[in-house]
Amino acid sequence: MTSPVPGQPGQPSSNSPKPALGGEATEAVQRALAAEHAAEWSYSLVSVLVAKDMEKVVATGAAQRRTRRETVERMLRDAGATPVPPQPAYQPPRPVTDAASAAELLVTAETDAAGAWRAVLERTDDQGLRQFALDALTAAAVQATRVRRAARQAPLTVPFPGQPG
Amino acid sequence: MTSEPSRPGPLPRRRFLLAGVLAMAAAPLAAACTATSPPPPGPDPLEPLAARARADAALARAVADALGGAGQDLAQAANAVAAHRKAHAEAFDQEIRRARPGTGAATPPPASSDAPPPPPPPTAAAAKTALADALKAAEQEARALVPTAPRHRAGLLGSVTASCLSLREVLA
Repeated sequence: MTSPVPGQPGQPSSNSPKPALGGEATEAVQRALAAEHAAEWSYSLVSVLVAKDMEKVVATGAAQRRTRRETVERMLRDAGATPVPPQPAYQPPRPVTDAASAAELLVTAETDAAGAWRAVLERTDDQGLRQFALDALTAAAVQATRVRRAARQAPLTVPFPGQPG
Repeated sequence: MTSEPSRPGPLPRRRFLLAGVLAMAAAPLAAACTATSPPPPGPDPLEPLAARARADAALARAVADALGGAGQDLAQAANAVAAHRKAHAEAFDQEIRRARPGTGAATPPPASSDAPPPPPPPTAAAAKTALADALKAAEQEARALVPTAPRHRAGLLGSVTASCLSLREVLA
Protein backbone atom coordinates (compact mmCIF):
# COMPACT_ATOMS: atom_id res chain seq x y z
CA MET A 1 0.00 0.00 0.00
CA THR A 2 1.27 3.37 1.07
CA SER A 3 4.64 2.85 -0.54
CA PRO A 4 7.02 5.73 -0.05
CA VAL A 5 6.94 8.31 -2.79
CA PRO A 6 10.08 7.57 -4.78
CA GLY A 7 12.82 10.04 -5.37
CA GLN A 8 12.87 11.58 -1.91
CA PRO A 9 16.33 12.27 -0.62
CA GLY A 10 17.79 11.03 2.63
CA GLN A 11 15.73 7.88 2.98
CA PRO A 12 16.44 4.79 5.12
CA SER A 13 17.84 1.53 3.85
CA SER A 14 21.21 3.12 4.49
CA ASN A 15 20.56 2.38 8.14
CA SER A 16 22.41 -0.58 9.48
CA PRO A 17 20.76 -1.58 12.76
CA LYS A 18 23.05 -3.23 15.27
CA PRO A 19 21.94 -6.77 15.93
CA ALA A 20 21.22 -6.32 19.62
CA LEU A 21 17.68 -7.64 19.15
CA GLY A 22 19.00 -10.24 16.77
CA GLY A 23 19.52 -9.11 13.18
CA GLU A 24 16.41 -10.77 11.81
CA ALA A 25 14.22 -9.44 14.61
CA THR A 26 15.61 -5.92 14.33
CA GLU A 27 14.97 -5.91 10.62
CA ALA A 28 11.38 -7.06 11.18
CA VAL A 29 10.83 -4.40 13.84
CA GLN A 30 12.22 -1.75 11.50
CA ARG A 31 9.76 -2.86 8.83
CA ALA A 32 6.97 -2.70 11.37
CA LEU A 33 8.10 0.79 12.32
CA ALA A 34 8.04 1.77 8.65
CA ALA A 35 4.46 0.47 8.48
CA GLU A 36 3.61 2.44 11.63
CA HIS A 37 5.03 5.59 10.03
CA ALA A 38 2.93 5.00 6.91
CA ALA A 39 -0.16 4.41 9.05
CA GLU A 40 0.45 7.54 11.08
CA TRP A 41 0.81 9.51 7.86
CA SER A 42 -2.42 7.96 6.56
CA TYR A 43 -4.32 9.04 9.65
CA SER A 44 -3.10 12.59 9.32
CA LEU A 45 -3.98 12.59 5.61
CA VAL A 46 -7.56 11.44 6.09
CA SER A 47 -8.40 13.39 9.22
CA VAL A 48 -9.95 16.20 7.20
CA LEU A 49 -11.87 13.88 4.90
CA VAL A 50 -13.68 11.47 7.16
CA ALA A 51 -17.36 11.66 7.93
CA LYS A 52 -18.58 12.81 11.30
CA ASP A 53 -19.25 9.33 12.66
CA MET A 54 -15.70 8.27 11.87
CA GLU A 55 -13.97 11.14 13.60
CA LYS A 56 -13.67 9.39 16.95
CA VAL A 57 -12.35 6.19 15.40
CA VAL A 58 -9.76 8.16 13.46
CA ALA A 59 -8.70 10.21 16.47
CA THR A 60 -8.29 7.07 18.58
CA GLY A 61 -6.37 5.31 15.83
CA ALA A 62 -4.05 8.25 15.31
CA ALA A 63 -3.31 8.52 19.03
CA GLN A 64 -2.63 4.78 19.29
CA ARG A 65 -0.26 4.97 16.36
CA ARG A 66 1.71 7.82 17.83
CA THR A 67 2.16 6.07 21.17
CA ARG A 68 3.16 2.81 19.56
CA ARG A 69 5.58 4.47 17.15
CA GLU A 70 7.34 6.27 19.99
CA THR A 71 7.65 3.04 21.95
CA VAL A 72 9.07 1.18 18.96
CA GLU A 73 11.60 3.93 18.29
CA ARG A 74 12.71 3.80 21.91
CA MET A 75 12.92 0.01 21.78
CA LEU A 76 15.15 0.14 18.72
CA ARG A 77 17.39 2.80 20.18
CA ASP A 78 17.74 0.80 23.40
CA ALA A 79 18.83 -2.12 21.27
CA GLY A 80 21.49 0.03 19.65
CA ALA A 81 19.68 0.45 16.33
CA THR A 82 18.75 3.64 14.52
CA PRO A 83 14.97 3.73 14.02
CA VAL A 84 13.95 4.17 10.38
CA PRO A 85 12.64 7.70 9.86
CA PRO A 86 9.25 8.41 8.30
CA GLN A 87 9.05 9.21 4.60
CA PRO A 88 8.00 12.77 3.76
CA ALA A 89 5.00 11.34 1.91
CA TYR A 90 3.54 8.01 0.83
CA GLN A 91 1.69 6.83 -2.24
CA PRO A 92 -1.79 5.57 -1.35
CA PRO A 93 -2.94 2.69 -3.54
CA ARG A 94 -5.92 4.79 -4.64
CA PRO A 95 -6.50 8.52 -4.66
CA VAL A 96 -7.98 9.64 -1.37
CA THR A 97 -10.81 12.00 -2.17
CA ASP A 98 -13.74 11.22 0.10
CA ALA A 99 -14.80 9.41 3.25
CA ALA A 100 -14.99 6.02 1.54
CA SER A 101 -11.52 6.17 -0.01
CA ALA A 102 -10.19 7.60 3.27
CA ALA A 103 -11.55 4.59 5.16
CA GLU A 104 -10.07 2.30 2.55
CA LEU A 105 -6.64 3.85 3.03
CA LEU A 106 -6.87 3.39 6.80
CA VAL A 107 -7.87 -0.25 6.42
CA THR A 108 -4.93 -0.77 4.07
CA ALA A 109 -2.58 0.92 6.53
CA GLU A 110 -3.86 -1.19 9.44
CA THR A 111 -3.62 -4.33 7.33
CA ASP A 112 -0.01 -3.55 6.44
CA ALA A 113 0.81 -2.86 10.08
CA ALA A 114 -0.83 -6.14 11.14
CA GLY A 115 1.24 -8.00 8.56
CA ALA A 116 4.46 -6.35 9.67
CA TRP A 117 3.82 -7.19 13.33
CA ARG A 118 2.92 -10.77 12.57
CA ALA A 119 6.24 -11.01 10.72
CA VAL A 120 7.96 -9.85 13.93
CA LEU A 121 6.26 -12.70 15.84
CA GLU A 122 7.77 -15.13 13.37
CA ARG A 123 11.27 -13.71 13.67
CA THR A 124 11.98 -13.55 17.37
CA ASP A 125 12.05 -15.87 20.38
CA ASP A 126 12.18 -12.94 22.79
CA GLN A 127 9.01 -13.18 24.84
CA GLY A 128 8.79 -9.47 25.57
CA LEU A 129 9.09 -8.58 21.90
CA ARG A 130 6.54 -11.24 20.99
CA GLN A 131 4.13 -9.81 23.54
CA PHE A 132 4.60 -6.33 22.11
CA ALA A 133 4.18 -7.56 18.54
CA LEU A 134 1.04 -9.50 19.51
CA ASP A 135 -0.49 -6.42 21.11
CA ALA A 136 0.34 -4.36 18.01
CA LEU A 137 -1.10 -7.02 15.70
CA THR A 138 -4.35 -7.31 17.67
CA ALA A 139 -4.67 -3.52 17.96
CA ALA A 140 -4.28 -3.14 14.19
CA ALA A 141 -6.89 -5.84 13.54
CA VAL A 142 -9.40 -4.32 15.95
CA GLN A 143 -8.82 -0.83 14.58
CA ALA A 144 -9.34 -2.07 11.00
CA THR A 145 -12.66 -3.55 12.14
CA ARG A 146 -13.68 -0.27 13.78
CA VAL A 147 -12.85 1.71 10.65
CA ARG A 148 -14.78 -0.73 8.44
CA ARG A 149 -17.79 -0.54 10.74
CA ALA A 150 -17.71 3.27 10.93
CA ALA A 151 -17.45 3.41 7.13
CA ARG A 152 -20.18 0.73 6.76
CA GLN A 153 -17.84 -1.52 4.81
CA ALA A 154 -18.32 -5.29 4.77
CA PRO A 155 -17.01 -7.71 5.77
CA LEU A 156 -15.93 -6.26 9.09
CA THR A 157 -13.29 -8.87 9.83
CA VAL A 158 -10.76 -11.19 8.21
CA PRO A 159 -10.05 -14.70 9.53
CA PHE A 160 -6.27 -14.28 9.85
CA PRO A 161 -5.26 -10.65 10.45
CA GLY A 162 -1.65 -10.11 9.45
CA GLN A 163 -1.35 -13.28 7.42
CA PRO A 164 0.43 -12.65 4.15
CA GLY A 165 -1.30 -13.34 0.88
CA MET B 1 -0.49 18.05 1.41
CA THR B 2 -3.90 16.52 0.98
CA SER B 3 -3.92 16.34 -2.77
CA GLU B 4 -0.27 15.97 -3.68
CA PRO B 5 0.31 12.42 -2.48
CA SER B 6 -3.00 11.21 -3.90
CA ARG B 7 -2.48 12.53 -7.37
CA PRO B 8 -2.32 9.55 -9.69
CA GLY B 9 0.53 11.05 -11.67
CA PRO B 10 3.03 8.86 -13.48
CA LEU B 11 5.53 7.22 -11.18
CA PRO B 12 9.00 6.52 -12.47
CA ARG B 13 8.92 3.11 -10.88
CA ARG B 14 6.65 1.09 -8.71
CA ARG B 15 7.73 -0.39 -5.48
CA PHE B 16 6.60 -3.68 -4.14
CA LEU B 17 3.86 -3.33 -1.65
CA LEU B 18 5.02 -3.97 1.85
CA ALA B 19 2.68 -6.90 2.29
CA GLY B 20 4.06 -8.54 -0.84
CA VAL B 21 7.61 -8.23 0.38
CA LEU B 22 6.68 -9.75 3.72
CA ALA B 23 4.84 -12.59 2.06
CA MET B 24 7.90 -13.50 0.06
CA ALA B 25 10.08 -13.28 3.13
CA ALA B 26 7.75 -15.53 5.10
CA ALA B 27 7.64 -18.40 2.65
CA PRO B 28 11.20 -19.70 3.03
CA LEU B 29 10.95 -19.21 6.77
CA ALA B 30 8.06 -21.63 7.11
CA ALA B 31 9.87 -24.14 4.95
CA ALA B 32 13.00 -23.86 7.05
CA CYS B 33 11.10 -24.51 10.26
CA THR B 34 9.66 -27.69 8.84
CA ALA B 35 13.08 -29.19 8.61
CA THR B 36 14.53 -27.97 11.88
CA SER B 37 11.90 -28.55 14.56
CA PRO B 38 11.15 -32.17 15.41
CA PRO B 39 7.80 -32.53 17.16
CA PRO B 40 7.99 -32.99 20.93
CA PRO B 41 6.38 -36.13 22.34
CA GLY B 42 2.81 -36.08 23.58
CA PRO B 43 -0.28 -34.50 22.11
CA ASP B 44 0.17 -31.44 19.96
CA PRO B 45 -0.53 -28.29 22.02
CA LEU B 46 -2.64 -27.00 19.13
CA GLU B 47 -5.13 -29.84 19.41
CA PRO B 48 -7.30 -28.24 22.13
CA LEU B 49 -7.31 -25.01 20.11
CA ALA B 50 -8.49 -26.86 17.00
CA ALA B 51 -11.24 -28.58 19.01
CA ARG B 52 -12.35 -25.29 20.54
CA ALA B 53 -12.40 -23.61 17.15
CA ARG B 54 -14.65 -26.37 15.79
CA ALA B 55 -16.97 -26.10 18.80
CA ASP B 56 -17.17 -22.32 18.44
CA ALA B 57 -17.96 -22.65 14.73
CA ALA B 58 -20.77 -25.10 15.54
CA LEU B 59 -22.20 -22.82 18.22
CA ALA B 60 -22.06 -19.79 15.93
CA ARG B 61 -23.66 -21.74 13.11
CA ALA B 62 -26.49 -22.82 15.42
CA VAL B 63 -27.01 -19.21 16.53
CA ALA B 64 -27.07 -17.93 12.95
CA ASP B 65 -29.52 -20.65 11.87
CA ALA B 66 -31.79 -20.03 14.85
CA LEU B 67 -31.93 -16.31 14.19
CA GLY B 68 -32.86 -16.69 10.56
CA GLY B 69 -33.93 -13.29 9.30
CA ALA B 70 -34.33 -11.79 12.77
CA GLY B 71 -31.59 -9.82 14.50
CA GLN B 72 -29.65 -9.12 11.36
CA ASP B 73 -26.55 -7.65 12.98
CA LEU B 74 -26.21 -10.58 15.34
CA ALA B 75 -26.88 -13.06 12.54
CA GLN B 76 -24.15 -11.47 10.43
CA ALA B 77 -21.74 -11.52 13.35
CA ALA B 78 -22.58 -15.15 14.08
CA ASN B 79 -21.95 -16.04 10.44
CA ALA B 80 -18.56 -14.36 10.60
CA VAL B 81 -17.71 -16.20 13.83
CA ALA B 82 -18.74 -19.50 12.25
CA ALA B 83 -16.68 -18.92 9.10
CA HIS B 84 -13.57 -17.60 10.85
CA ARG B 85 -13.52 -20.21 13.60
CA LYS B 86 -13.93 -22.94 10.98
CA ALA B 87 -10.95 -21.47 9.12
CA HIS B 88 -8.98 -21.41 12.38
CA ALA B 89 -9.76 -25.08 13.02
CA GLU B 90 -8.60 -25.98 9.53
CA ALA B 91 -5.39 -23.99 9.89
CA PHE B 92 -4.63 -25.65 13.23
CA ASP B 93 -5.38 -29.10 11.80
CA GLN B 94 -3.09 -28.40 8.87
CA GLU B 95 -0.28 -27.31 11.16
CA ILE B 96 -0.78 -30.34 13.43
CA ARG B 97 -0.56 -32.64 10.40
CA ARG B 98 2.48 -30.79 9.09
CA ALA B 99 4.31 -31.20 12.39
CA ARG B 100 3.61 -34.94 12.49
CA PRO B 101 3.29 -36.31 9.02
CA GLY B 102 1.88 -39.79 8.98
CA THR B 103 0.33 -39.66 12.43
CA GLY B 104 -3.32 -40.23 11.79
CA ALA B 105 -4.03 -39.62 15.45
CA ALA B 106 -3.14 -35.97 15.08
CA THR B 107 -6.00 -35.59 12.66
CA PRO B 108 -9.21 -35.04 14.56
CA PRO B 109 -11.99 -37.43 13.64
CA PRO B 110 -14.03 -35.94 10.82
CA ALA B 111 -17.09 -37.19 12.70
CA SER B 112 -16.77 -34.17 15.00
CA SER B 113 -18.13 -31.93 12.27
CA ASP B 114 -21.08 -34.27 11.79
CA ALA B 115 -21.98 -34.20 15.47
CA PRO B 116 -25.41 -32.76 16.20
CA PRO B 117 -25.17 -28.98 16.47
CA PRO B 118 -25.42 -27.56 19.98
CA PRO B 119 -28.81 -26.14 20.89
CA PRO B 120 -28.75 -22.38 20.33
CA PRO B 121 -29.07 -20.18 23.40
CA PRO B 122 -32.73 -19.36 24.13
CA THR B 123 -32.59 -15.61 23.47
CA ALA B 124 -30.61 -13.31 21.22
CA ALA B 125 -29.00 -11.68 24.24
CA ALA B 126 -27.96 -15.07 25.60
CA ALA B 127 -26.62 -16.04 22.18
CA LYS B 128 -24.55 -12.89 21.99
CA THR B 129 -23.11 -13.50 25.45
CA ALA B 130 -22.36 -17.13 24.63
CA LEU B 131 -20.50 -16.13 21.46
CA ALA B 132 -18.58 -13.37 23.20
CA ASP B 133 -17.58 -15.70 26.04
CA ALA B 134 -16.46 -18.37 23.57
CA LEU B 135 -14.36 -15.85 21.65
CA LYS B 136 -12.80 -14.53 24.82
CA ALA B 137 -11.79 -18.02 25.92
CA ALA B 138 -10.42 -18.77 22.45
CA GLU B 139 -8.47 -15.54 22.38
CA GLN B 140 -6.94 -16.23 25.79
CA GLU B 141 -6.02 -19.79 24.86
CA ALA B 142 -4.24 -18.70 21.67
CA ARG B 143 -2.63 -15.69 23.34
CA ALA B 144 -1.15 -17.87 26.09
CA LEU B 145 0.78 -19.96 23.56
CA VAL B 146 2.29 -17.03 21.62
CA PRO B 147 5.30 -16.29 23.87
CA THR B 148 6.74 -19.81 23.75
CA ALA B 149 5.46 -21.33 20.49
CA PRO B 150 7.89 -22.13 17.67
CA ARG B 151 8.28 -19.09 15.44
CA HIS B 152 6.15 -20.26 12.56
CA ARG B 153 3.33 -21.07 14.97
CA ALA B 154 3.63 -17.77 16.80
CA GLY B 155 2.43 -15.99 13.65
CA LEU B 156 -0.62 -18.21 13.22
CA LEU B 157 -1.48 -17.98 16.93
CA GLY B 158 -1.12 -14.20 16.78
CA SER B 159 -3.48 -13.97 13.82
CA VAL B 160 -6.06 -16.18 15.56
CA THR B 161 -5.79 -14.08 18.72
CA ALA B 162 -6.33 -10.91 16.68
CA SER B 163 -9.22 -12.49 14.78
CA CYS B 164 -11.05 -13.52 17.98
CA LEU B 165 -10.57 -10.06 19.41
CA SER B 166 -11.90 -8.34 16.30
CA LEU B 167 -14.90 -10.70 16.21
CA ARG B 168 -15.65 -9.70 19.78
CA GLU B 169 -15.45 -6.10 18.65
CA VAL B 170 -18.12 -6.85 16.05
CA LEU B 171 -20.37 -8.39 18.71
CA ALA B 172 -19.83 -5.49 21.12
